Amino acid sequence: MKPAAFDYVVPRTVREAVGALGTGPGARILAGGQSLILEMRLQRVRPDLVVDINHVAELGHLSADDGTLRVGALVRHAAFEREGAVPGPLGTLFSRAVVNVAHPPIRSRGTLVGSLAWAHPAAEWCALALALDAAIEVHGPGGPREIAARDYFLGPFLTSRAQDELIAAVRFPLLADDTGVGFVEHRRTHFCFAQVAVAATLTASDGVITEARIGLVNCADRPVRAHAAERALIGAEITPPAGHRVPGDHPFARAGRAAAERDAAPLPEPYADVEYRRQAVAVLVGRTLCEAARDRLSRTGTSGGGHR
Amino acid sequence: MHGDMHGAEVLVVEQWSRREDERLLTGEGRYVADMDVPGCLDAVFVRSDVAHGTLREVDCSAAYEVPGVVGAWSAADLSEMPPCAQSAATLQDLPPVPYVLLAQLSTEEAVAGREWPVLVRDRVRYPGEALVVVLGEDRYRAEDGAAKVTFRIDPLPAVVTPSTAADDSVRLFDGLSNVALRGETGEPIEESVWREAAVVVEARYRQQLLMPTPMECRTILAVPEGDALTVWSGHQAPHRLRRELATLLGGLVERVRVVVPDTGGAFGSKSATFPEFIAVAFLAVKLGRPVRWIEDRLESMTVASRGRGQDQRVRLAADADGRLLAYELNIDADIGAYPHLGVGLPMQTAWMATGPYATPRVHATVRSMVTNTMVTYPYRGAGRPEAAIALERSMDTLARELGMDPAELRRRNFIPPEDFPYETPTGRRYDSGNYAAALDLALETLDYDGWRAERARRRTDPDALPLGIGLSCYVERSGGEPGGLHEFASVEAHEDGTLTARCGTASSGQSHETVFPALVAETLGVDGTLVRLVEGDTGEQPEGVGSFASRSAQVGGAALREAATLLVEEARARAAALWEVPEAEVAWSGGTVHPVHGGHGGHGGAAAMDLAELVKTTGPMRVGGRFESGMAFPFGAHAAVAEVDPELGTVRVLRLVAVDDCGVVLDPAMVHGQAFGSAVQGIGQALYEGIPFGENGVPLLAEGLLDYLLPTFAEIPPIEIRDTRTPSPSTPLGAKGAGESGCIGTPAAIVNAVADALRVADPCLLQMPLTPDVVWRAARAPKFGEVGQAGEFGKTGEFGEAGEFGKAGEFGKAGKFGEAGEAGEAGEGGR
Repeated sequence: MKPAAFDYVVPRTVREAVGALGTGPGARILAGGQSLILEMRLQRVRPDLVVDINHVAELGHLSADDGTLRVGALVRHAAFEREGAVPGPLGTLFSRAVVNVAHPPIRSRGTLVGSLAWAHPAAEWCALALALDAAIEVHGPGGPREIAARDYFLGPFLTSRAQDELIAAVRFPLLADDTGVGFVEHRRTHFCFAQVAVAATLTASDGVITEARIGLVNCADRPVRAHAAERALIGAEITPPAGHRVPGDHPFARAGRAAAERDAAPLPEPYADVEYRRQAVAVLVGRTLCEAARDRLSRTGTSGGGHR
Repeated sequence: MHGDMHGAEVLVVEQWSRREDERLLTGEGRYVADMDVPGCLDAVFVRSDVAHGTLREVDCSAAYEVPGVVGAWSAADLSEMPPCAQSAATLQDLPPVPYVLLAQLSTEEAVAGREWPVLVRDRVRYPGEALVVVLGEDRYRAEDGAAKVTFRIDPLPAVVTPSTAADDSVRLFDGLSNVALRGETGEPIEESVWREAAVVVEARYRQQLLMPTPMECRTILAVPEGDALTVWSGHQAPHRLRRELATLLGGLVERVRVVVPDTGGAFGSKSATFPEFIAVAFLAVKLGRPVRWIEDRLESMTVASRGRGQDQRVRLAADADGRLLAYELNIDADIGAYPHLGVGLPMQTAWMATGPYATPRVHATVRSMVTNTMVTYPYRGAGRPEAAIALERSMDTLARELGMDPAELRRRNFIPPEDFPYETPTGRRYDSGNYAAALDLALETLDYDGWRAERARRRTDPDALPLGIGLSCYVERSGGEPGGLHEFASVEAHEDGTLTARCGTASSGQSHETVFPALVAETLGVDGTLVRLVEGDTGEQPEGVGSFASRSAQVGGAALREAATLLVEEARARAAALWEVPEAEVAWSGGTVHPVHGGHGGHGGAAAMDLAELVKTTGPMRVGGRFESGMAFPFGAHAAVAEVDPELGTVRVLRLVAVDDCGVVLDPAMVHGQAFGSAVQGIGQALYEGIPFGENGVPLLAEGLLDYLLPTFAEIPPIEIRDTRTPSPSTPLGAKGAGESGCIGTPAAIVNAVADALRVADPCLLQMPLTPDVVWRAARAPKFGEVGQAGEFGKTGEFGEAGEFGKAGEFGKAGKFGEAGEAGEAGEGGR
């Protein structure tokens, strides 16, 4: 770690933290340090002031009440590794997604809220927040406000949070018990960022899909909600294909193609040009939907009914 | 360490498998960065952000305003520094980087007119080339100072592949061709041979540039004291470093001492006198202060030496029975911006082109090209993986053309055991081998027939992922080249009964501390715990060659064995003198001299005397010298099973079997450990490692090891290491080198398995690393057999035409992956 010189403060309350952020545009928040420390090491981020929020006790809470999960700014990734840590299918989805975030030592420090604040296009949590219509609670000099996930992500590392605002928590609606969930990630090695990852939830009535939510990871310069793919699924049968492969005329394959051609706006990367990335999106969406449909089967014990 | 465990279950280690492990695994290892030298300055280099350009101006003045910065100098600034009072009068200006003549890695002719300055004077030739050195009271201050240095470089077009460098449209050195060396071995093959052969395979292979990536990057600490200089460095050849630094600094070799403390890996990349080393030593002497440079990871990824880097064209001809008739290998090698370290390295590939087969005609040519990339230098395997991969990929393709089992094709062509020593058409004299035995063991260990049945089953199951089996048989060279096949060693007996073994080798993780004392103890017949190894210190062992080319056990081990044998002779001679009997009357066993006829004879009942007593009686005893060894040719057979997800292009290696033969094995656990690690590096070349370049020729590596993927624990397949042991008649221990087998044998086995799974008609579509996009495109290309006519298949060769291959070479370029269509078009070249 060879950062440029910086000042460092340790606030005890949200108010103090926000006050410290307001001292100048060069102030940065340190929670888990998962990304900030790396960038400071390379001096690509040269903060004047590091505001370490790790001693703001009120930011450490994780709660689920009234159908809503509230994740405080100091809740570490590792908190979601156990499926039961969050009630219902949302807990399953989080537990499947979180194992793709870095590795265990980093998951013990890095935070879900920090991922949203950093807004890396390949961050799993950002796509989940978008797909699940999360709400982001921020505190600034003018008091608290709430930003809907759909209004939050503006580009790579770019959000509608102001520099002097602190994200105190993120709220996710809990998922109904008969929701099927899936998360599939494709990457070159276990160590690296996703080339593409997909989060999906499916609900159905009488064997017919009534709602689909699909979030795409690293399929554009920001997280993507695959609206076209979701629309293509409404009214389709939820029965997953029998074998490993998704036949081309299966609704999940059609949704995959819709996501790849109409929702995703992939950028070329070394070893993954746009053509390849669209292929990967199509394949992964199809497979994630299969996983969600099978997950729903395992929850409801039947492909047809099971709705409340 | 233990204090941190907070009541966690304490691991009780009953026995460390290596002597060095307790120290290294409990945080007690001592690396250069751990040295605490009062008043030491840290060096940071300001580096070029372009690949090729003209340096117009450098301004270091602002760096001096940063508190704690001691100085910042460009090349021009250093030439204006006042001469140093306490050093030799010749130390005026910064000397240039020396070149390596050892093993013909470089030549006087190639470096003539191509000087490599330590700091850029007027022309930048590779990205990251150092412009300025900043010294600070600590690394933080030095980094802050470096951030204040400004410079201006006018960019020039950059060439980053041998194919683009070859036409000299962009020259790195004005007035000189980019082709810095041409070489060939074997006799040119007449066209009639190709014309009349039943089958000819033609192909092109890219051996991508790789990074050695040791855990610890490069390090140097130079401590001047009076007119002496002590240099600490994680290094493979401390004696060479000492000699070269002394020469460059205009001092006497005797005044320089180089010490190699614990070193975290090297893989070939730590055996030269690098530009940064010279700057550090120069400034230490000039300023009379300790100076160190601890390379960080991003710096290492930018400016540490590269390995591989060849574009190859091959032709392999066989008769209808699969007997090889001729093999031709043409190499265009990327040697980086300066020819100093590796212009001759591709000749290793040419010399090993014959492989394990009795092919009557083999011809190999080399063109070594300077390019705007960091310099290539030996990296584990060093020329032999390139030879093995080209030949073994072609063998699997040939087997398919012939409709023959690839194992059977190889068996028909192996040099038989009774033909050794064997003179190859490419100038090597193989010492010993039993290639069929290694292949048979590999197939048996793999369960070849079982996997073949599974492959057949999957081909009829539409829901199954395709599976392939790949073979790779290799022969390599260990020990070094003539002129470097000796080592220096000594054994000293002490009055307390312990012994010190000294050797000119230098471990960077190869278990010398465990293996060498055991070898000496076994030779002497004493308990291993009595023997201690000292190496990697020119103050303790004034002459030495070092550890590279898989030479430590083969050459250094042999020297220690010889030194131990000399110690026995010395002990017997002294006892004979003491007892006034002929030497023939004195016997040695178990660390003791005793009369042959136990108590009888003319010396009045002299009893046995142990070594400690003998030293006490007769004085200090240290014997040793220079011992010559021979070149050896280890070999083996690797087999891989891989399944491919054709929709995503992902490859999963289900099984890897590596059978290696390094002759007599000194310590099986250590040899297996090296074979395993080396195989993992081979997996890295096959599937993961590659340097992507931007349009401007600068590698796209800003995210460090996220941009250059190494296989991690999660990617390591089940690997089974087995060995056959065919002693070398040309080395004293019968041992051959063991360290490089895996990365030589493994890559082709994996690529062949993927080619087999996909049954792709044009195997040239599978260029390493086999990233998902490459494999996905190959999976969509025509299958073997779908391309019916011979005429059409002949297009395989056309895909390789210079223009097309230039594109393949550019695969890493930003423009390339930006242009989605192009790679797809290349992918359809076989149609």
